[in-house]
Amino acid sequence: MQASAIGPAEEPSSILWGLDPIFSAFARLYVRDILQMTESTQVPGIYFYNSHPINKVDILGTVVYKRERDDFFCYGDDGTGVINCLCWKSDAFKEEDHSVREKHSVEAYGNFNLVTELRKLRQAQKERSCLDIGEVLRVRGWVKTSRQQREIMGSTYYKVNDPVMAVQIAWMMEVPRLYRECYNKTIQLNPTATGDSSVSMFSKATNIIKDFFKQKMVTRFRPYDIQDLLQPLVFSQPQKAPEDQQPVAGLSACQQLHQLLKKVLEDLQNEGVIYRRVKSQDEVYDVTVQDKDLLLAVKDVISQDSKREKHAEKGCHILHILSAVRQRHSLNVSRAALELVLKSLECSSDIVSTSDSHYTVF
Amino acid sequence: MLPAAAVFHFPWEINSGAVKDGESVRTFGRLVCYQPEESRATLSAHHAANEHTVVIHTLFVEPFNPILGAQYLVLGEIENAEEVDVRVQARVLNCIDGVNVALLQKAINEQRSFFRERECTQDGVAQPGDAT
Repeated sequence: MQASAIGPAEEPSSILWGLDPIFSAFARLYVRDILQMTESTQVPGIYFYNSHPINKVDILGTVVYKRERDDFFCYGDDGTGVINCLCWKSDAFKEEDHSVREKHSVEAYGNFNLVTELRKLRQAQKERSCLDIGEVLRVRGWVKTSRQQREIMGSTYYKVNDPVMAVQIAWMMEVPRLYRECYNKTIQLNPTATGDSSVSMFSKATNIIKDFFKQKMVTRFRPYDIQDLLQPLVFSQPQKAPEDQQPVAGLSACQQLHQLLKKVLEDLQNEGVIYRRVKSQDEVYDVTVQDKDLLLAVKDVISQDSKREKHAEKGCHILHILSAVRQRHSLNVSRAALELVLKSLECSSDIVSTSDSHYTVF
Repeated sequence: MLPAAAVFHFPWEINSGAVKDGESVRTFGRLVCYQPEESRATLSAHHAANEHTVVIHTLFVEPFNPILGAQYLVLGEIENAEEVDVRVQARVLNCIDGVNVALLQKAINEQRSFFRERECTQDGVAQPGDAT
C-alpha cells in the first residue's frame, strides 16, 4: 500500500520542485492517493505522490455528508476514498436581499435588462454552489492536513449536472490514463548537469553575440570586432594539470577562440541573424534586422508588388519577395534572413501577413 | 470519522456475496418495483443471460420520485441479515436514466484493472525487499 511512499532521504530538493510540471497543476489524483500521500519533510503543506511534489488537486465525487455554516464543508466520495472538502461560500451570495429591492425600478431598458440578468447570474452561481447529499461535486483546491485529517481547501467548487453519468464515466476513463502517462512516471529532478561543455559553451557564445547586437544596435561588423566578447568563455576553461601537458589533438586557447568564433558566425548566418551583403576579401557582416537598406528594400518590394493584379488579392508570397530582394539588394540574402526581416516589419506594422507565407501592405 | 468510500460493484457481485456485510458500495440497475409502505425498492440488471436483482432499503432517501423502468444509481451499506436476502441500505439514490450502461461497465472495469495493475507492480517492487 505504501510502496510508492517516498522516504525523507529520497525527496528531491525543494528548489527543483518547480521543474515538475505536475507541481503547478491541479493533479487529478484518486482520493485514496491524496489521503495516503506523504508530507514533505522540507516544506510542510507539500505532499509527495511517487516522487512528484503535489499541493493542489482536482477531484470529482459524490457528496456524502454536508455541514453548512459560513463555510460549507462536505465529504466527497469518489469511490476510492472519502475526503473532507472545505468550500468557502462567496460573499456575493450573501447580498441576496439587496438585489431583491431593486426589482421594481428597472423597466426602462427594453428586452435586455442588465440588473435582472446579473441577478439571474448570481442566482445560477449560487445554485451551483449549493450542494446536497447525493449530488456530484467537482472541487479544485489545496491539500491541507488539519487535526491529523487530510482535507481539501476548495478554491473552486461547483455542482456537476450529470443526469446520465457522462461526466463521471469520462472521469473514470481518464484518470487511469493520467496516472499511467504522468503521475506514475518518475521524474528525475536533477539540477541541470553540465552536460557536454563544448555544446553549452557554444550556445553561451551565440547568446553573448546576439545580446551584443541588440544592446549596441550593431548594423555591421567584422569578426575581430566581436572576438573579444568570446575570450572570457575560452579562457575560463579549467587549466589542464601539469601532467597532461601533451595533448595529442590539443588546441591552444587562441585556436579554440577562432574555432568558436567561426562556428558562431556560421550558425548565426544559418539562422539569418547576420548575412554578408557583399562577399569579398574583406569579411564584413551585416546584422539583418538592423540593416535599414534591407528593410526598406523588402518593404518597397511588397508595397509595389501588392498593387499588381497578380498579388493584389492574396499578397506576395515569401519566395517571390526573396527573389525580388535578391535582385534588388543582395544575392546573399537567405530565406531565414528574410523571414526575420518580415517579422520585424510586421511587428512595426509596416506590412501585414495575409497567410503563413503571404505578405501585403495596406 | 469519515464514512467509508463506496466502491463500485455490479449487481451480480452483490448477490453472490462478494461484498461483506457493512461494506459501503455503489451500484446501479433498473427500478422494477417499489413498495413505499415497506421502503423497499428492487433494481435489476441484465448480465450473462441472467437477470440479477438487488433489494434496496430506501428509508433514508425518501421521498423520491420513483420512475419504474428507469436506471438508478444507489450508494449505501450492505446488510446481510439471515432471514432476508442481501440488501443495500441506501444513503444516496439518483436517477440516471439514459446512462450508457455498457460504457459505465467498461469504465468500472477500466478503473479496477488499473488498481490491480498498480497493486501488482507494488507487490513486485516489495518482493525483493521481502526476499532479503
